[in-house]
Amino acid sequence: MRLTRILPALLGAALLACNDLDVGDLNDPGVNAVQASPTRAGVLNLATGLQTGSRYGVGQQNGYNALLGIVGREIYNFDNADPRFVTEMLIGPLDGGSPAFGGNLYGDRYSNLRTANVLLHAMANLTDDPQVGGMSAAEKEVTTGYVQTMEAYDYLRVVLTRDDLGAPTEVDIDPTATPAPIRTKQEVYDTIVSLLEQAKTHLQLGAADFPFPMSPGFSDFSTPATFLTFNRALRARVAAYLQDWPGVLAALGESFISPATPSIVASPPFALGAYHTFSTTAGDSTNNLFDPNTRALAAHPSMLTDAQLQVDGVTPDKRIVDKTFPLTDPKSVPQGYTSNFGVNVYTSPSAPIPIIRDEELVLLRAEANIQLNNLADAVTDLNLVRQVAGNLPAYSGPVTQPALIDELLYNRRYSLFFEGGHRWIDARRYGRLASLPLEPGTHHFSRFPFPRNECLARNPQPAAGCSPEPGSP
Amino acid sequence: MRLRGWVVPVLIAALAGPLAAQTRTITGTVTDSATGQPLAGAQVNVKGGLQSAQSRDDGSFTLNRVPNQGVTLGVRLIGYRGLEVSVPLEESGPVAVALAKDPFKLEEVVVTGQFVGVERRNLANAISTVSSEDLRDVPTPSIEQQLQGKVAGADIQTNSGAPGGGVQVRMRGITSINSAAEPLYVVDGVVMSDVAIASNQNAVTAASQGSNPELTQDNQVNRIADLNPNDIERVEVLKGASASAIYGGRASNGVVVITTKKGRTGRAQVNATQRLGFFSLSNKLGSRVFANDAEVDAAYGAGVGAAVGCTPTSCPFFDHEQELAGRKPLSYETLASVSGGDDNTKYYASGNVKHDGGIIENTGFNREGVRLNLDQQLGSRVTLSVNTNFLHTKAERGLTNNDNSTTSYYVALAFIPSFVDLTRNPDGTFKPTAPSPPFPPSNPLQTAALSSNNEDVWRILSGANLEWRAIQSQNSSLRFIANGGLDFFNQRNALFFPPDLQFEPVDGLAGTSLLSKSDNTNLNLFGTVVHNYAPAGRGFSATTSAGVQFGRRNLDIDRTTGRNLVGGQSNIDAATNIQVQQRRELIKNLGYFLQEEVLTAGERLLLTAGIRADQSSANADAGKLYFFPKAAASYRFPNLIGEGSEFKLRGAYGESGNEPRYGQIFTPLTSTVNIGGVPSLIVSSGAETGAPDLRPERMREFEGGFDMQLAHGRANLEVTAYQKNVSDLLLRRDLFESSGFARQIFNGGKLRTRGIEAALGLQLVDHKDFAWFFRTTFAHNRSKITQLDVPSFQQGGFGASLGTWEFTEDSSATRIVGNDTLTAPLTLPDGTVLPTGSAVVRRIGDSNPDFRMGFGSDFTVKRFGLHFLFDWQKGSNILNLTKLLDDFGGVTPDFAVPLPQPVPFGNDLLTTVGGQRLAGFGVTAGNYVETASFLKLREVTLTYELPNSVVRGILGARRSARLSLSARNLFTVSDYTGLDPEVSNFGNQAIFRNIDVAPFPPSRSFWFSIDVGL
Repeated sequence: MRLTRILPALLGAALLACNDLDVGDLNDPGVNAVQASPTRAGVLNLATGLQTGSRYGVGQQNGYNALLGIVGREIYNFDNADPRFVTEMLIGPLDGGSPAFGGNLYGDRYSNLRTANVLLHAMANLTDDPQVGGMSAAEKEVTTGYVQTMEAYDYLRVVLTRDDLGAPTEVDIDPTATPAPIRTKQEVYDTIVSLLEQAKTHLQLGAADFPFPMSPGFSDFSTPATFLTFNRALRARVAAYLQDWPGVLAALGESFISPATPSIVASPPFALGAYHTFSTTAGDSTNNLFDPNTRALAAHPSMLTDAQLQVDGVTPDKRIVDKTFPLTDPKSVPQGYTSNFGVNVYTSPSAPIPIIRDEELVLLRAEANIQLNNLADAVTDLNLVRQVAGNLPAYSGPVTQPALIDELLYNRRYSLFFEGGHRWIDARRYGRLASLPLEPGTHHFSRFPFPRNECLARNPQPAAGCSPEPGSP
Repeated sequence: MRLRGWVVPVLIAALAGPLAAQTRTITGTVTDSATGQPLAGAQVNVKGGLQSAQSRDDGSFTLNRVPNQGVTLGVRLIGYRGLEVSVPLEESGPVAVALAKDPFKLEEVVVTGQFVGVERRNLANAISTVSSEDLRDVPTPSIEQQLQGKVAGADIQTNSGAPGGGVQVRMRGITSINSAAEPLYVVDGVVMSDVAIASNQNAVTAASQGSNPELTQDNQVNRIADLNPNDIERVEVLKGASASAIYGGRASNGVVVITTKKGRTGRAQVNATQRLGFFSLSNKLGSRVFANDAEVDAAYGAGVGAAVGCTPTSCPFFDHEQELAGRKPLSYETLASVSGGDDNTKYYASGNVKHDGGIIENTGFNREGVRLNLDQQLGSRVTLSVNTNFLHTKAERGLTNNDNSTTSYYVALAFIPSFVDLTRNPDGTFKPTAPSPPFPPSNPLQTAALSSNNEDVWRILSGANLEWRAIQSQNSSLRFIANGGLDFFNQRNALFFPPDLQFEPVDGLAGTSLLSKSDNTNLNLFGTVVHNYAPAGRGFSATTSAGVQFGRRNLDIDRTTGRNLVGGQSNIDAATNIQVQQRRELIKNLGYFLQEEVLTAGERLLLTAGIRADQSSANADAGKLYFFPKAAASYRFPNLIGEGSEFKLRGAYGESGNEPRYGQIFTPLTSTVNIGGVPSLIVSSGAETGAPDLRPERMREFEGGFDMQLAHGRANLEVTAYQKNVSDLLLRRDLFESSGFARQIFNGGKLRTRGIEAALGLQLVDHKDFAWFFRTTFAHNRSKITQLDVPSFQQGGFGASLGTWEFTEDSSATRIVGNDTLTAPLTLPDGTVLPTGSAVVRRIGDSNPDFRMGFGSDFTVKRFGLHFLFDWQKGSNILNLTKLLDDFGGVTPDFAVPLPQPVPFGNDLLTTVGGQRLAGFGVTAGNYVETASFLKLREVTLTYELPNSVVRGILGARRSARLSLSARNLFTVSDYTGLDPEVSNFGNQAIFRNIDVAPFPPSRSFWFSIDVGL
């Protein structure tokens, strides 16, 4: 056959062979596919993904602990390369258009809420028959309880940063459609309480084991029964924020709070709790709040100057001695703000960050007892923390509600230092923001504005939260 | 089947069709009509027949098997006017053909479609051509730099001074906001990948964290840098859709059609070039000089002055930039090529070895390559061409650009004042940046000396072209062309930061080793049929071409990050913290095209119409066809403005596309993260989702203009005006954060770019002993967002506090906005009055230049030649964030210069220039916006042709030798206070260039070359 005649035929055949142009996503599974034709493995990966998503941003130097730590004057971030930690987070105003300076504290949480949503859709479309790759009704039940608890934790962190601005609580919507209405702070808390309570029921009614593994930070809460004690711990914190003091005690009663002194003083003391964990293995994240050379993070000087003295009458509170370290050369910025102490709360790139732990629960019990006027019980708990964690002498001040509130807030500040903005949150809920330190030119902020697009997508825009937060001088 | 040696020729002869009963042989010579010198390489064809030949070195040619009748010979040679010579049957002696020079190459055939073209004098588009002699003046690492200042309408800028490339070509201003900004490169019919793959240096610099999550700040090299400029015969630049429509869905940013050198009939020609040279730092920022210990203590704290050796009267001064970038290592380039052939086989083979020494320790660029271009006649009707290029490049890039870890050289220098001694101790170790703090534990001299950032690319570029001239008659011809091409490369990025670097313990994991391996495979298959119909005496010729093209692009990037290196080993498995990453991309597309070109009215009127239809897996609907039509017309008026003049009016319209990037059509769940080994599937923060109908951006371009040749071809002027309307822009719609998704990619909005460009060439003097050729190019364009289907949005850069781009309907697409503080009350459109002192975000600049101009001259005085080329950019702004960093560190040279009058600022009184600038940080972004105007002497070359007598004595007869001295970027005139106004921290960007963050410093290069022709 003549070469020149077969050539066009060969070429035509080659082109026909190439005619299938469909190429899927070679890198990641798609949302639509996972929801429409779910697999058991996919749903379970989404379930464990909630723990990864819940951690997202927390270990970053511009994450939840760091930014709330700055506005609450627990720490400074004197990163040479990014002055916005000073110019925006201390001096202000807080700009809703800065995605990395507050917008992330909002968006990161809603991304995880979207994951929860994808999971619930996928699980609903998955058969109940485990024999054919589905999930049994009992498995779905406990998974639902787990998902709702994780959702509540995300909503809680959203409302803690936006406070009286409120926040949307419906995420199962078309992302290109009109956004869900912004609910009031009270409504968001109602949602959180409702999720935690529903979760409790689901966890109690379902299977004895979760069908998925737990990350190391939840190793003490890896069954529905034990996970419920974590759920109740969160519920106690939420009750405290809602000033539902009997509710705090009720929830603590079902939580993992240590029943007696010996286990609390186990070494390390007060460590029992749920954590965001980190590691240096592939695909995992490291804890970037570990900053041994004080490249960026430094302790706020007030944490040192306000510390009470240990039993020897010389050494400051053991908690701050343990959680900071002195710098040979002070860390400062051109504006003149200076710190002589680095931060030692997280001592390796794999150090876990607490979600909630025993020490906070004991202090929550003390707080509820103060508010319910059970002052003696409160002093017992406060002394437990003072002596075990702080190596301080027993409380010797007046046993009155105002004095004990001061003492409680002191202990919360030092026990929960740099563990999630507690100094700021506590100052706000007790109306004491103005008493936080104020460097020359800086401001106190009570809330972060809505991120820019949350505002732009709404017509009319929300009355508050859509302009920069100037703060109060 | 085994073929005996004689079978093939016989078979081919049989295929060649019936031979005339009797034939004759025609011989002749081709010479230059002015000088009488013989001309080699002229193409001689029998009109309407298959016989053709090339003139040899002595100008002679032989045509065999010419029909035994009177024939007309067409004689063509690039750079000369073509000639038709009739050879009657009775003429038996040699035919003498004298060709006249054509300095503006009006008869050069310029590409207008796949495998079709027309002579430049008829061309309906402003297509710029740059030929090999314009490419060899001054060596550059990559081909785009050779085009700088030579192509009107092509804005070519170098992203940094780093060795080995990283150059952006933007044709005719803005064509897109988010999509690809680089033109399509077609080398000998093969689409060559220009992908830029990040080195992953971000694992150390942490530049892309926070607001810029993509790896775009790694000073990445776009891979057209691999191509050896010395192998290029010519470059045709199709600037917009009106010319490039036939390339379809990826041609919006223009098409650069590159043709490599081919062999010519005749004895083997050997050309060799040896170059020696060096690069040297061409600009410094300078650093603040401290007068005494008191000044140091005031700036950095009590006692620092004494600690660093300052006294009450003086301070040490170290020129850190010179210490870092003051090297001038020997650079060299060796090129050799051999070409030749006979009437059946032609070959061009070349080899090259190049080394550019970097001005910073452990930086530099190497390229080695071999090429073989082979053309084989298989009988008289079939030609097979095979081009193969195998090459290796190795770029050592250093550690530059933005960082968030104080590791990049110029970021570290911003926080290390001039009195800190960074040099080596006697034992070879580097001095620490003492005292630390306040100075960061990062010594750039140590970083440069001990770390490496190497990019190795092994690449094979190969194409085969089979052309079958099925019909070749007096009236018509029919050609079938099958073309297949493969472009494969492997890029290996190996970065090593040993544990003893001063910055390495900062993250608690001492030592970092990064290894990335990327494979890219581009496959193209074309099938084209070209029919030409030119009936004798009917006064027109029509060319119809049609074809189909399949393309497949496959990219696989594997990255490994190893931290905490055991024993300081660089192998990644010696790390205790290992992260791996894989990213794959695959795009398949199928295109169909049909084009008709008619030349009539005495070859004065050219009419073209064509259409291309594309389907691609990058679009949401992979099966859907997108159509891109084109139409063009030109009419030339010979002798309109005097004898020997030409005037041509032309107009062209075309559409082309810019397809979505791979993956944009998907809504992915992230599967690459875990927590404590527990698998995770998550909607990641910042997740993007694609619109369900995602499709290519569409450009509609109209261009019109005129070309003029005057004074018997000694002056040439081309003027073109164009308007591009781009619709279906691939926009990012920010989604409200509570949706859980960050953005959606969708098609919407429109932008328009209008511009004018001109090219003028003048042969001012053309004398035997003295010639002066002058040329200049001019380009101006303006863009405007005419429709935006989303609220006006800001994108690019580092946000409004430092300057960003804002896209608003009815305003420029290149408008830079930033935070500003009102110095006078401002009345808003709605009547609100903002008082003095209000914080606003408003225009602080524009990144589009007012115009670009190139001008240069070639002088020839006897054996000496002088060539120079200036490149001028007027206007446009750049964000000088390096200066901001220097101000943070208090090391800007003018930082402590007192203000004539203290300026109140809040409760403070600002007394220094630097203090005032810095006080505006976050509130007056304009403080760091500067002009990017520049005038650069891109090329200057002095050549000397050795006299024949000398050459003959050394090398023998018919040899040539040339000596030259040349320099590139010899000087720059600019008001810009940064290192170089061309830089781009984010690499190649459709719009978001003009951001200067600690770039690799610029250099000038000097070369001495010897060219020898044997």
